[in-house]
Amino acid sequence: MAVATARPRERGRGTTRVVRGGRFRAGAVVRAAFILGYLGFLLLPLYWAAVTSIKPQEDLLADPPVWWPSNPTDIHYSTALENFNGWKGLENSLVVACATTVIALIIGTAAAYSMARYRTGGKHLAFWFLSQRMLLPIAVIIPVFLLYSRYSEAWFGVQLVDTKIGLILLYTVFALPFTVWMMYVYFRQMPVELEEAALVDGCSRVQAIWKIACPLAAPGLVSAAAFAFIFSWTEFLFAQVLARDSAITLPVALAGIITGFQGNQYGEASALTMVSLIPAVFLGILVQRHLVRGLTLGAVQG
Amino acid sequence: MSEDIHEGFDGAEPSLFGTPIGRKDFLFDSAKLLAAAAAAGPFYLAAEQADAAIEASTSLTAGDPIALSAVNAAKQFKGITLTKTNESGLQALDDHNFTGPLWEKLTGIKVKVIESPFAQIYSKVIAEHIAGTGGIDVIDGSPVWMPDFAEQKVIDPVDSYISKYKAQATLNDYHPLYRALMKYKGKTWGFFDDGDVWNLYYRKDIFGNAKLKAAYKAKFKRDLRVPRTWDEFTETSQFITDQMAPKVYGGGEGRGLGNPGNQFYFFQQFRARGGRFFNPSTMKAEINNEIGVKAMQSIMAEVKASAPGIEKLSFVDSWVNWLQGKTAMIYAWPPTGRISENYAQRDKAFNFLPKSKIVGKVGYALMPQLNGEHAGSFVKMVSADSKNKEAAYLFAQWATSPSISLQRVQLPYTLRDAYRISHYKSKQFRSRWPAAGEYLKALADAANNAVLDPIMTGAADYANALDRAMTAIYAGKDIQAGLDDTAKEWDRITNKLGVAKQKASYALFLKLPGSTSQNTVAKRGQAVKISA
Amino acid sequence: MATRAETTIPRRRSRAASSWLDRNIRWILVAPSIVLVLALTIFPLGFAIWASFVQYDFSLGLDHPWVGLDNYKENWSDPVWVHSLWVTAALAAVMVAVELALGFLLALAMMRPFPGRRALTVLFVIPLFMSPVIVGGFFDLFLRRPFGPMNWLLGQLLGHPVTIDFTNDSPWTYISLIIADAWQWTPFMFVILLAGLAAIPDELYEAADLDGAKPRQSFFFVTLPLLAPIVLIAVTFRFIDATKLFDIIYSLTRGGPGTDTYTSSYYLYQEGFELFHLGQGTAGSLMLMVMLTFISFWLVRRLLKPVEA
Repeated sequence: MAVATARPRERGRGTTRVVRGGRFRAGAVVRAAFILGYLGFLLLPLYWAAVTSIKPQEDLLADPPVWWPSNPTDIHYSTALENFNGWKGLENSLVVACATTVIALIIGTAAAYSMARYRTGGKHLAFWFLSQRMLLPIAVIIPVFLLYSRYSEAWFGVQLVDTKIGLILLYTVFALPFTVWMMYVYFRQMPVELEEAALVDGCSRVQAIWKIACPLAAPGLVSAAAFAFIFSWTEFLFAQVLARDSAITLPVALAGIITGFQGNQYGEASALTMVSLIPAVFLGILVQRHLVRGLTLGAVQG
Repeated sequence: MSEDIHEGFDGAEPSLFGTPIGRKDFLFDSAKLLAAAAAAGPFYLAAEQADAAIEASTSLTAGDPIALSAVNAAKQFKGITLTKTNESGLQALDDHNFTGPLWEKLTGIKVKVIESPFAQIYSKVIAEHIAGTGGIDVIDGSPVWMPDFAEQKVIDPVDSYISKYKAQATLNDYHPLYRALMKYKGKTWGFFDDGDVWNLYYRKDIFGNAKLKAAYKAKFKRDLRVPRTWDEFTETSQFITDQMAPKVYGGGEGRGLGNPGNQFYFFQQFRARGGRFFNPSTMKAEINNEIGVKAMQSIMAEVKASAPGIEKLSFVDSWVNWLQGKTAMIYAWPPTGRISENYAQRDKAFNFLPKSKIVGKVGYALMPQLNGEHAGSFVKMVSADSKNKEAAYLFAQWATSPSISLQRVQLPYTLRDAYRISHYKSKQFRSRWPAAGEYLKALADAANNAVLDPIMTGAADYANALDRAMTAIYAGKDIQAGLDDTAKEWDRITNKLGVAKQKASYALFLKLPGSTSQNTVAKRGQAVKISA
Repeated sequence: MATRAETTIPRRRSRAASSWLDRNIRWILVAPSIVLVLALTIFPLGFAIWASFVQYDFSLGLDHPWVGLDNYKENWSDPVWVHSLWVTAALAAVMVAVELALGFLLALAMMRPFPGRRALTVLFVIPLFMSPVIVGGFFDLFLRRPFGPMNWLLGQLLGHPVTIDFTNDSPWTYISLIIADAWQWTPFMFVILLAGLAAIPDELYEAADLDGAKPRQSFFFVTLPLLAPIVLIAVTFRFIDATKLFDIIYSLTRGGPGTDTYTSSYYLYQEGFELFHLGQGTAGSLMLMVMLTFISFWLVRRLLKPVEA
């Protein structure tokens, strides 16, 4: 095979330059200041949530605010996880989000490739996918509920309401527009010579896609996967309406604590928020690794 | 409260478990129950469950035939699952930790809970009804939704079941205010389950403070006392704030939007001052008349006299200030009395509330101008689409039976409050803290004089419009303009739903005890007299 | 542009006559997505359109006579609906602008490698993985006086006590919403723009250098044009999502005070779902969707143009 995988091009500097020469110092200081400022903006509310999750009750609503509790407690974590559907929400969210990501990625990338390389459906199909994004959840909530309860039971003998699979299918539909579009643009910007070369060498189309196109589009795949995951992980309205009891996801569990009629359990809500960050951090590490790889690899060859 | 489970047991009683047993077997059964409870929830509950088991079998009516007959009849449905609605968070703990596991133990029927924010219970019930697949069996919802639910056949009347299981007598144990609530157009639609009346809770020590009393007398030329009118309330509240802020404020109700909803404040004061919501013949809204404006001005004065930030506080958040001693008077739901005595804070689920610094210092009074709001509350109804209607009914009968409901309103983490005459008289409840007897008397008196949330078709819409308008007024909108806009919105709602229909519904509401300040239980001569 | 590469596979070059799979690959690839989307959107959309033209209101009973455009008119006769449209448009525009600016600056700042850049990127990306409901919730905790630290912090910074009610006073309610949304979604712009910046090959900059271009010129003539499609995707998606703003309103302001911060989505949720005036709610949603379609169609046309060879 002439070109098996993408190889990193040797580069002296490895990144694009936007500022150079004598302005380097000033630029670096400005950059650093900006980054630090943004970091502060980012971390402040997170810190507050973190510290709230370990505050004993007297500190929760104290005025002036308590920045570090003298008697940290872990009771909020155990209460949130045991008494307020924390474990259930966490588990369901993980399963649903992972499944959605995998499915959306596979069928979305496939569709995007077809649209990019073969102009399948032309711009009409492309726009149709995009228009799904514009579906206002509130417009379709009740019919989806009906579909999942009455009709699903009539046609398949089992209700899809309050099931993880029901949520997965629905979330995939909502994640597809972005997945398809992301990969569509990516594939369009990739020149086709490499795949053609592979075909000339005797590969089937499927092999060409799998072995050539996908690895080159890796940063795009990672981004698309990340956003598919994010969407499923954070979706609230449909989960709230479609879940009765077994399929409660993390946002629903959290919303039940935060917006209760009879009070907000701030400690528990903060604790669950912190817990929900663990997969977030993990995913962040995953995403950024591929982003940086994309930077040093250079993107498009030739 | 005694941990000794031997106490209070007078000999062989019919047990919860169907067969008459002796003391030894009872202890064994209790132990099993304790084990089940310990596995199901926080372990401090174990002590509660022991008491609960005792009370259940030694209740005032010598064994509770209502609970028994429900349990015995429900055993034939063993193995099914009943689905019920409830508000998410604290409310649902009752089902998860006590009612659900106990029912399952007794009958073999599982209980599944659909939790959601309160307003969404309404929407979810409707959605399930439209789907028609029987996803909900027991609807634990607000009584103001009952007319709409009954009209649209979302719920079934339960009269036939009540006769079948001879539960008629138990209805007489309900306070008359709540008894009437369960009926609509001559039929009974569910079992009432939460006595949500408002009382005025005040700090006895502050009101007894000699210096304060002297200053008050000097300023107002009358004695400092628990306010009897709304004007007196705002004056006293402001006075306390002037004298003692920022350590103590005169008032401090949570007034966040939807938490619980500001409409209650307006509903009660408006009617206490003699207002009426609609003109009964034309159905035009009258909330923007001079009475309405006066009521709203008074509410704004209250807000001014309260701790800062209350415009966004929820009802529970305002407890924090109260428990830390920063509020002199607060009017709110019955759990206020319990948490003031550190009763609820023993449970892990209430760990977000501080320990009470005002134990023993809290007095209970009727609302100013007598008529407090009966705000919110729950009724257990049977869904018309349920595939297990009879089992659903039996669950409701059992959960609201004198013995079981008595235990439920005493659970530390519960937000359900006393509503039966037997609750008010319960020796066990009265032993919970020194002033518990006064507390129960205050609750009964409040119910005698309470005014109800409007229970009519379209209730949710009217309430929502008012709640929103009030937060706008808190944020600075002109009172008359705000009330005018709300009245216009109310008229729009009335027109949309049909003037004739609303007129009929409103007329039905006016017949209920508690619909106006002239029509309270007390004014109808049905007051329940409870001694302290 | 170095070369305008061919990006489609010319038919005459294909030689996969033997395999049915290879011949029909284009349809096979696209089928699962289309089938899934159709299955889950045809009925709901059809139902929604039907429901907008009939009476579908729980309080009015459960038969559904045809009412034509009444539901649509009902929305327009409600001043809250009109107000919510303005709020939605203004908030969405400002939010997207703020996020684009911040995200772009951040991406530029993070282009150069430096120690700890990897860890920082992870940190920056975290807000994306949080549910907006939650973000609204803990911003509420952060901002709400008297125990939210924001007022205290501002007081320390400015030297005098600050008592702004962030979730109750105009215009602070809007500012709070924008800050909360920007906190969450700036990383979205950041990641996409960073990937886009990275995709620009160095040779182009080198070529520009050789041609004597100054940094600013290469920015405008190399970076921006190549970044344009990426920016357009990001802005399109973000704008569409921002107009559907709901979760943060639900947890931070509940549309209050009064109806000040009612976005269209929140209004329709209240009317259509919580109060179950479904016909009216659906009519409003469809109107909103039509408006959104026009806006995004305009945006996407710009996107599709340079890509078509």
